[in-house]
Amino acid sequence: MTTRRLAPYAIAITGAIAITGAIWLVNDIGSVSGLSAFYILFVLWLGARWGRGPAVVGSVAAFLLYDFYFVPPVGTFTVRGPAELLELVVLLAVALVTSQLAASWRRAQASAEAIASDSRALYELATAMLRTQEAAAALTMVCDSALRMRGVERFAVVAISSGQAPLVAGSILAEDELNQARWSYERGQQVGLSVKDGTLVPMKMHGPGSGVGYFPLVGGVAVLKLGEPRPEASDLRMLAALIGLADLLLDRRRASVEAERARGLQASDSLKAAILSSLSHELKSPIAALRAGLTALTTPRAGLQEEHRELLTDMDRQAARLDRMVGELLALSRLEAGVDLTREPHSFADVVGGTLGQLRAEVKDRKVVLHVSDDLPLVDVDEMQVGRLIFNLVENAVEWAPADGAIEIGARAMDGSLEAWVENDGPAIPPTDLENVFDTFWTRRTAGTGLGLAICKRVVEAHGGTIRAENRRRGPRFTFTLPFAAVPAAGGAQGAQTKG
Amino acid sequence: MSGRVLVVDDEVEMQRALRTGLGYHDFDVRAVGSGEAAIREAAGWRPDVILLDLGLPGMDGLAALRALRPHTRAAVIVVSVMPGERDKVQALDAGADDYVVKPFGTEELVARIRAVLRRQADVTAGEPVIRSGELEIDLARRHVAVGGRTVRLTPTEYELLRYLALHAGKPVSHTTLLRQVWGDYAVGDKYNTRYVVAQIRKKLGDDPANPSYVVNEPGVGYRLRTD
Repeated sequence: MTTRRLAPYAIAITGAIAITGAIWLVNDIGSVSGLSAFYILFVLWLGARWGRGPAVVGSVAAFLLYDFYFVPPVGTFTVRGPAELLELVVLLAVALVTSQLAASWRRAQASAEAIASDSRALYELATAMLRTQEAAAALTMVCDSALRMRGVERFAVVAISSGQAPLVAGSILAEDELNQARWSYERGQQVGLSVKDGTLVPMKMHGPGSGVGYFPLVGGVAVLKLGEPRPEASDLRMLAALIGLADLLLDRRRASVEAERARGLQASDSLKAAILSSLSHELKSPIAALRAGLTALTTPRAGLQEEHRELLTDMDRQAARLDRMVGELLALSRLEAGVDLTREPHSFADVVGGTLGQLRAEVKDRKVVLHVSDDLPLVDVDEMQVGRLIFNLVENAVEWAPADGAIEIGARAMDGSLEAWVENDGPAIPPTDLENVFDTFWTRRTAGTGLGLAICKRVVEAHGGTIRAENRRRGPRFTFTLPFAAVPAAGGAQGAQTKG
Repeated sequence: MSGRVLVVDDEVEMQRALRTGLGYHDFDVRAVGSGEAAIREAAGWRPDVILLDLGLPGMDGLAALRALRPHTRAAVIVVSVMPGERDKVQALDAGADDYVVKPFGTEELVARIRAVLRRQADVTAGEPVIRSGELEIDLARRHVAVGGRTVRLTPTEYELLRYLALHAGKPVSHTTLLRQVWGDYAVGDKYNTRYVVAQIRKKLGDDPANPSYVVNEPGVGYRLRTD
């Protein structure tokens, strides 16, 4: 160590002696003026190559040797006159200036090399990361590179995603550190450090657990503790870059987790649809055989006694109820599985007419009051689903209205959507239940399935509308909205007439 | 009214129930379990009505219907547990006369069978005037009237109403109406039929929410009422 540090000084002195010897030999052959310039060249080289100290030593040695051997009176160290003094000053100045220049040039080169090696390291890390499919392994690579740096005591990246335990890469964290990391993530709050202009800025901290910094990222937190010796500026830049990489990695991890989840959902959706389709066949076929068999025997011509016929009729009614429940369960499951709506412009009156046609038997002896004008703008709906909505609401009304009571179906154009309602003369819904009637399995009857109105709500919401229940003076009313079709009818029913 | 009914269903319980139930209503019933057997019976036994389940093993119901149609004048009622609208439309377009969704009660089925038999009798009688309540459509004179009052229809409106009248009581799909009234190029634009039906209803004084004549068959098409 000492030898290596002293070597440049030895070179400086030896070099000065060697040059003196060379000039002495040349002078012996014939006097050549200005040979002292060689000293200047030598000092220049010393300054550039070895820095200020050796250059100064070299210039002083050169001056002394020159003065001793070549300046009359030769053989003495006398300095006579300003010219000689100037020579010494020039040599010293050359030594100082060149060594200064060289030193700053060397510093610039060193930092350029450091930056080059930093970016090379980052580049290699980034490529390795891209090749690593597993985000966790890539995060570990980032942490390892950080931990290899001087002045980094601990470095960890905590990946946080909802519903999952946090994943830690790098240094092992204590429980309270993990909690602090989570806090920092949730608040988006930096603790103990910040990143500014591409470099890490550590802040002074006090209190327990101090010295550990937390930096929130897209899907997690970087945790960092600096130690001794303090990292240099280039290292702080590198750390900031590594934190940036960790940020990218967490983002990638989150994207891949989301993509995987979406794939899973899609697969489970089509699976659900297939299961529902085969389930409806499997469940309904036995009911079909049951009903066909039971109703075959209820005709008087079957010759059964009256009480036996009644028994069979009761059984058929139960089989029909079972059929309804299976149908509603399947319809609800389909809606919940997110079936695609087949939306087309439809006249609401036409849909009401078609649905009432299906309910012919149920409404045959009922008073049905219609306030549905054919001049209402067309609605953009799935006819089958909205048919089911009206079917369920009318069926519910038939159930609750007294035998001589009326069922009212109405519709009117509102701002941007159609508002329609189904009302009956039945008993009011208890006010506390108005909110709950659309809940799955909520029912006022002991024999109800509790699915009919839940289906209604799902259908309306799938169309982007709203549905509500309220008690009117006459009885309960269910009001829902449906969107109008964007394209108006070609010269057809357009007057936004209201009725009812 | 009685007749021969061929039941095509692969479930033995269903076959037995329908044989018994329809038998009590004076129908002569035979039951088979496959499309191939149905084609044989249709040719040999000459049923008046075929109850065809769409979910048959092997040759499915729709394929059986397409194979049957050229060889039988029997009315075909399609039976299915899958109330998919596309299945109904495909069955109607392949020549089915009506569809019934499983499970059903015997009374309902008997009513549907009688309706298709009645329609068949009307068509064979070649009645030139078709009535639906107050509505009268005189096919020979191309004249339409409601309660004796003449209704003036455009040629398109008349063609659509005429086609429904020729198949009175039977649901006719949008695609069939489009093809019959506008020709093949129009197929796919259901909006046309809805618009024309709306115009016809206006002229007939028919309320779409409570139609007396032209009834919407949700997801399928339209039907001219005969009941």
